[in-house]
Amino acid sequence: MSQISDSIRGLQIGNRWDRAPKWVRSVGLLLVIAFAFYLPFLNVLPFAYIRTDLNPTGSDWASVLFLIVVYMIAAVGLNVVIGFAGLLDLGYVGFYALGAYSVALFGSPSSPVVEALQSRFGLSDEWAVPFVMCIPIAIAMSLTAGVILGAPTLRLRGDYLAIVTLGFGEIIRITARNLDNVTGGAAGITQVPVPPGPEVDGRSFFNTIDAERWYWLALVILILIVFLASRLEHSRVGRAWLAIREDEDAAAVMGVAGFKFKLWAFAIGASVGGLAGLLFGSKQQYVEPNAFMLNLSFLFVAMVVIGGSGNIVGVLVGAFLLTYLPERFRELQEWRPFAFGLALVLVMVLRPQGLVPSRRRAAEIEDRRHEAEEAAADA
Amino acid sequence: MLLEMKDAVLSYGKIEALHGISVHVEEGEVVSLIGANGAGKTSTMRALSGVRGLSAGSVVFDGQDVTKMRADQRLRKGLVLCPEGRGIFPGMTVTENLNMGAYTRKDKSAIDEDYDRVFDLFPRLLERKKQIAGTMSGGEQQMLAIGRALMSRPKLLMLDEPSMGLAPMLIQQIFDIITEISQQGTTILVVEQNAKQALSRSDRAYVLETGNIVKTGTGPELLDDPSVREAYLGVA
Repeated sequence: MSQISDSIRGLQIGNRWDRAPKWVRSVGLLLVIAFAFYLPFLNVLPFAYIRTDLNPTGSDWASVLFLIVVYMIAAVGLNVVIGFAGLLDLGYVGFYALGAYSVALFGSPSSPVVEALQSRFGLSDEWAVPFVMCIPIAIAMSLTAGVILGAPTLRLRGDYLAIVTLGFGEIIRITARNLDNVTGGAAGITQVPVPPGPEVDGRSFFNTIDAERWYWLALVILILIVFLASRLEHSRVGRAWLAIREDEDAAAVMGVAGFKFKLWAFAIGASVGGLAGLLFGSKQQYVEPNAFMLNLSFLFVAMVVIGGSGNIVGVLVGAFLLTYLPERFRELQEWRPFAFGLALVLVMVLRPQGLVPSRRRAAEIEDRRHEAEEAAADA
Repeated sequence: MLLEMKDAVLSYGKIEALHGISVHVEEGEVVSLIGANGAGKTSTMRALSGVRGLSAGSVVFDGQDVTKMRADQRLRKGLVLCPEGRGIFPGMTVTENLNMGAYTRKDKSAIDEDYDRVFDLFPRLLERKKQIAGTMSGGEQQMLAIGRALMSRPKLLMLDEPSMGLAPMLIQQIFDIITEISQQGTTILVVEQNAKQALSRSDRAYVLETGNIVKTGTGPELLDDPSVREAYLGVA
């Protein structure tokens, strides 16, 4: 295992990439993106073995790709919170759920909220908030939730924050299940709207059959989010996050207002999570509380940590592996939790900084180890 | 008077670390605070820099009551702390660390002047500009911490144990630089366990014991004080 990782490190992909001329990087990036768009149609052996639908019980390939990209979006958002600002958020599924529920509550003609609006304003049975309007609503809802959760809790550090956020994730799900006359309770909400588009073959452009269109849509959004996140990382705000993550007290005495920037990280992470949830809910066209169990939160955190907290490429790899592998090897389903646990332990032991680590993170982990050794020597 | 802390009480939960201490610093002075481990030196620094709030007492800086101000607000006033050992950002390069020192400033040309000044004081940092700070030696990290603090143009520079964990030769060197910074016109308050260096370089000093100030005087006076000699200088 460590031999493999050593030989991969020997290739120095990261360094070579950084040193490559700009045009090489642009072309390389375009090729990767073009390949990503082509993936649903990949049918050339031996590459087609990566498909998940080779045997009849397999999952639909394009749907799996869509889910991978949705989780990638969520992971990039969570990386802002965990990777950039260093805040352990174990309730991220709450924001994801809020995004999905927002589009369902306001966009579905059969949701209790829309029905109340219909009868209040004498609108027709088919009226609902248009999908395009649901996007800002979903982002605003999850962002507000992020601020409401963050404002009282971000003064807590480390484990305490983790526990509070853990509770938040559960509160959202349980509220959704029990608030029957708002969220439809355990039965959930059907007729969740899909993005507008021209009709093709008598079906709407985004439908339940042609999953590759959903995948492409999600991919476009992912590219946008990755672009924004990397801009943010290298901005003044990003530098403040980095300083807070590395040493909060030192950041404060350098003039970085810790609380303000942590709240920003939380709010931005929350809105990206909401956006991912919106995509998920819209493709399903059905939203119900059991889709947002706590283990999804852990899965998101695992994607960030296994991939390489703080490194956007790393968390994309993490999200890909943790979504794709279980789908590809569905026949080994009962081994899933075991393999998952084993992978986590192995990564933590052999590569605590993640598969594709950020260079800074590696230095921080080294620094903390050093501090611990000094403390041990003192004692 | 540049800085005056009066009857400051600082507690961690139920434990009181400072039992009402008063310290003041005049403009242009080098003042040191000496004491053993657990005497409350770092707590005093935390209280002064605003990392922790006081439960009683007051801090006045440059004619303004800053008792209720957060650390980042105090920094903008020119009250700057250089935190104790490894208080640098380990994952950032030397340049990035120095940049953080100028985080609140927008005066580009003055910032560039300060870079030159820092690299002048610490030629070592210039050589290591692009190195990740966490991979440097203890002495280099200490230099970086001081350089970073200087990048915020302090009126009063507070140094928390600049000699911690350093070899004797390096300690000498660090104190030489502190003296130089003071001669360039920055007021300095330094907290130290290394009483000999601190006292011989200071105009005035305070002796801190279990959260109380037990003695105060000029540097030379305290160097000659029998009880100080016995307790902190290792001479009977």
